[in-house]
Amino acid sequence: MSSLLKIDNMSVSFATPRGNLRAVNDVTIELLKGESLGVVGESGSGKTVLSRATMGLLPGTATRTGTITYNGQVISDLPKDEVRELWGTGMAMIFQDPMTALNPVRRIGAQLTESLTVRLGMDKKAAKQKAIELLMRVRIPDPESMLRKFPYQLSGGMRQRIMIAIAVSCEPQLLFADEPTTALDVTVQAQVLDLITELRKESDMAMILVTHDLGVVAGHTDKIAVMYAGDVVEYAPTRQLFSNMKMPYTEALLKSIPRLETPTGSRLPVIEGRLPDPTKNEPGCPFANRCPYVTDKCRAEKPPLTNAGNNHYYRCWFPIGGEK
Amino acid sequence: MPDVEQPVEVSPKLTKTKNKKPIGFYLSATWIGTVVFLAAFGWVLPTRSWDSADYDALGVKPFSPNHPLGTTGDGYDMLSGLVNGARISIFVALVGVIIGGSIGTFIGVTSAYYRGMYDRVVTMIFNVMLSIPNLVLSLALLSVLAYSDENNPTTTSRRVGVLMLSLTIVVVPILGRIGRASALQWAGREFVLASKSMGTSNPSIIIRHILPNVAPAILAIGFLAVGSLIIVEGSLAVLGIGVPGGASWGSMLANGRGNIAYSPHEVYMPAMAIALTVISCNWFGDYVRRALDKRESKI
Repeated sequence: MSSLLKIDNMSVSFATPRGNLRAVNDVTIELLKGESLGVVGESGSGKTVLSRATMGLLPGTATRTGTITYNGQVISDLPKDEVRELWGTGMAMIFQDPMTALNPVRRIGAQLTESLTVRLGMDKKAAKQKAIELLMRVRIPDPESMLRKFPYQLSGGMRQRIMIAIAVSCEPQLLFADEPTTALDVTVQAQVLDLITELRKESDMAMILVTHDLGVVAGHTDKIAVMYAGDVVEYAPTRQLFSNMKMPYTEALLKSIPRLETPTGSRLPVIEGRLPDPTKNEPGCPFANRCPYVTDKCRAEKPPLTNAGNNHYYRCWFPIGGEK
Repeated sequence: MPDVEQPVEVSPKLTKTKNKKPIGFYLSATWIGTVVFLAAFGWVLPTRSWDSADYDALGVKPFSPNHPLGTTGDGYDMLSGLVNGARISIFVALVGVIIGGSIGTFIGVTSAYYRGMYDRVVTMIFNVMLSIPNLVLSLALLSVLAYSDENNPTTTSRRVGVLMLSLTIVVVPILGRIGRASALQWAGREFVLASKSMGTSNPSIIIRHILPNVAPAILAIGFLAVGSLIIVEGSLAVLGIGVPGGASWGSMLANGRGNIAYSPHEVYMPAMAIALTVISCNWFGDYVRRALDKRESKI
């Protein structure tokens, strides 16, 4: 399989009144056609910025360095208008909150056919036909009448399906799903994820799934990048990561998922402490202050990204299970 | 396949009670309808000529058989005067709001969307414009561009033209600011980003996503502005620089001022027309805003 997206040494920083905020540090990621990558990390770890920066959807205060290659074409230094050509038809994004990602005053039909008429140049009738097909693909009952509805008439799960339908309407090759299930209730989460995976299989679409929930990525991705404070701290094929994790942070993330078998009344496991201040550039491992295995070396020197073989990379001086 | 959710149905009964219109809506809509109809088609109605005096009926009180709303001290029929006055008063106010509102909304919404230097300059200009009292502005424009004395009189149409220009300038920053404030709130919403991420161009996003959301605020304030422009027109006429010769409501009011002691209806009638129209505009604007307000809070 050939490479679809290659991110080389991408860094993103924002100019803020308190100084330069580094949101993503030197990230290198490669994604093959039809493959899916999970980006996992806690709030503020830079995972959303990573996905938006890759697409080029950053606000004016952001600076991005590094190269992004999409389908063999370097897109990181293209002018905005040419990047926009790729949006929708090449790369598309599903947003986190379906409550705010649909325009409240326009009908579902209008919002769904917008990119079809504007981007693909379909006439109204063809666009409507295609919109009905899309709604059927995302399992919405009675698609005809759905076209005339306003977003406020729909539930969260329905809206997220509409968002998915909009995102896949121009048949992109790469889908960014930015916490697509965070705003939904647990019973609907699984349905939405299964739906995305099904749609991906149908059209061989690659996906970058951004989430804070390791449980969500487990069944739906081929590989996982764990992010912490803007760094990719562990990067491995999904199976490999779960069977042989190297990074104390990944372990801590996994431990903080509540389990059914824990006795009633026991405390939820949490990762103590908080992320380091992203405007300061302190030496040492950014996770040092919260790590149970911390040593003096961790506080003094930042570990490099180390290759453990089998496409497994980690960023730690003292990985779980020792070197290799 | 996962379970399919049922579409949310709003029961017809619920919708009906929600959409029940207040009585004020019907009253104001009727009044506005009547005034607009008279303004547009008043000239085909079999009323008396508004600018020729009936010398057998000077200062007749209202409710007389020949002159239902009475006449002025000079024998001009009040009803025909009001019908004719509606044309100028409504026309001037509407043109001011439509042209000024379009320009203001365009500038305000684009500045909120693109931000940066453009936005700062626009905000500054709006602030400067808002700091000039609108009567003073209109006075200055009218006395410079439509100066008139015995030796070089200006035509009424020039007066009306300059009046509309000044009213337009008054409206631009008012609706511009409303448009900017409202668009600022919507431009940061996720659906704008979502549409952008599908490759929609900026002008297209403004037209399809921002404007429909800004429209309720603009329409509501627009109706308010129609009301206030009618008042501005009246004030200018009373100051003696509006439309001359009793051709508008304000002008009729100004002409009747001297006779208020013995024939008060000369002032009351145009004043009432102005008051009713302004109140109706406010009510109607408020209703329009609520009716167009289709957002989350409606659930």
